[in-house]
Amino acid sequence: MAIIELKNVQKVYGTGAAQVVALKNINFKASLGEVVLIMGPSGAGKSTFLTIAGSLQKPTAGKVIVGSRDIAHISTRESDRLRLTQLGFVLQAYNLVPFLKIKEQFELVNKVKKEGNIGAAKLQELLKQLGISSLIDKYPNELSGGQQQRAAIARALYANPQILLADEPTASLDSENVAEVGQLFKKLAKDYHKAILLVTHDPRLEQYADHIYEMMDGKIKQKS
Amino acid sequence: MFLAIKEIKREKLRYGLIILMIFLISYLIFILSALATGLASENTQALESWNAQKVILNINANVSMSQSILTKSDLKKDALTKDEALVGQIPVVVKNSKRPQISAQFIGIKKEQFIYHDQELIAGRRAKKNNEVTVDQAFKTKGYQLGDKLALNGSAKKYRIVGFIKNAKINIAPIIYGTLQSWKKLRQGMPTLRASAIVSRNPDYKYNYQNCKTYPIDQFIKKLPGYTAQNMTFELMIGFLYVISLIIIAVFLYILTMQKMHNYAVMRAQGIPSSTLVKATISQALILVLAGLIIGLIATMITIKVLPAAVPISFTPKIILTGTIGLLVTAIIGSLIPVRSILKVDPAQAIGE
Repeated sequence: MAIIELKNVQKVYGTGAAQVVALKNINFKASLGEVVLIMGPSGAGKSTFLTIAGSLQKPTAGKVIVGSRDIAHISTRESDRLRLTQLGFVLQAYNLVPFLKIKEQFELVNKVKKEGNIGAAKLQELLKQLGISSLIDKYPNELSGGQQQRAAIARALYANPQILLADEPTASLDSENVAEVGQLFKKLAKDYHKAILLVTHDPRLEQYADHIYEMMDGKIKQKS
Repeated sequence: MFLAIKEIKREKLRYGLIILMIFLISYLIFILSALATGLASENTQALESWNAQKVILNINANVSMSQSILTKSDLKKDALTKDEALVGQIPVVVKNSKRPQISAQFIGIKKEQFIYHDQELIAGRRAKKNNEVTVDQAFKTKGYQLGDKLALNGSAKKYRIVGFIKNAKINIAPIIYGTLQSWKKLRQGMPTLRASAIVSRNPDYKYNYQNCKTYPIDQFIKKLPGYTAQNMTFELMIGFLYVISLIIIAVFLYILTMQKMHNYAVMRAQGIPSSTLVKATISQALILVLAGLIIGLIATMITIKVLPAAVPISFTPKIILTGTIGLLVTAIIGSLIPVRSILKVDPAQAIGE
């Protein structure tokens, strides 16, 4: 059963001559335990897709179903709560708070979400799995790009969301690190039973995906 | 609070500079307030020590005690109760061959009235005879001693110091308390001369007989030479300092907030509510101001300790409370400007950058 589903989603920016249709009749779904790739060139609508799937903005038409609930038109407060509890984000860059040590990034989650996080023991296990357990006393700018990305993944998973949304997660990584992160996503999806949506134009990630969607001019098509 | 403290700890130099500026402003506010209070107090110390509520002067004296004359015909027999005292004031230049020359105010009083009994002696005793005086502690600071003989306004008659008194200043000049008889001699007036004024500690007292007019103490103080102008000057300077501190806090927090907009967008995308970010900004402003204030307080206390005794400075709990509350309110108002920007952060900005 799909944990996230977009049904006939449209997104239109502007009006009249300045109107831009960013998403056209998007139908998409992903289930727990899967890694799903959304690929496409710049301007294809990938970022808009991610913001709507991640409840960062509302679609012009259509339904966005997370679990069994349509989140297309929920309030800002509900949207904040949803992103805090059910959706995790791994963003392209600077997605860690720069003035917090890695261990304090998790403390921040504890401050705003007091229940439902994975807890200290599981966090230790996760950090070990990600190979960053010795880096928790460092600030983000003291880490390499790959280490920052893994710390961001740990931070996103710490809140124990069902769905992990990643925006160009390999944009600043070399091939060796891409393979490492790709395998990691695959393993995390299975081990932690998450749906992982990767928005990317990096073909090196294809081999780690369960399903691949292609976006072009605001339309989406399942490739495999 | 968590985000505010962590950020200040991480960006020590940046926030240290803001604290430095707030410290300098608070230091200036405290010092100026203490000077204003000190100077104001030197104008009114005696009136406060008398607990004066009403002052009765000659109607034509322009509310000036030293220019007022009350004659025998102005005073009814039942004019005074135990809460009223006759006072004769005259400015004098004090000379003693071994001590520095001092400009002072001679206040003639009667032994049987309350001002005489309320004198707070720090050494010696109260004056009993016409050739005896008690003087403000400022004389002691300048080297005068008990038993010293003073020539007033170049008179041949000498007055012996028999006591030093605490808080005895008026019009920023130290007071020499003597008898009303001595005052009359110094005034060289007509035989019907009785006093300069009646001072009452009864707030309901009113005496408008013949040439007399009753003034509430606040009105009398405001009319003291230079008092209102001096206070307004200080109030204006302190007011400007509050405005400057408001601008500094608002501008710095605004610039810092603008630099952090992407971080805020990322945090908002991760579901951290705007209220958490707003609280962090306001608490950050409060922490910065409190830190600056504490350092400012310590520096003010040290400065007051090392200043010469001649500097009229009075650092009271009221100044600390007013300065602290004033700057904390300024910090909250200053932080509201960047808060507007935080509330407008679009979490979708975090995607695709």
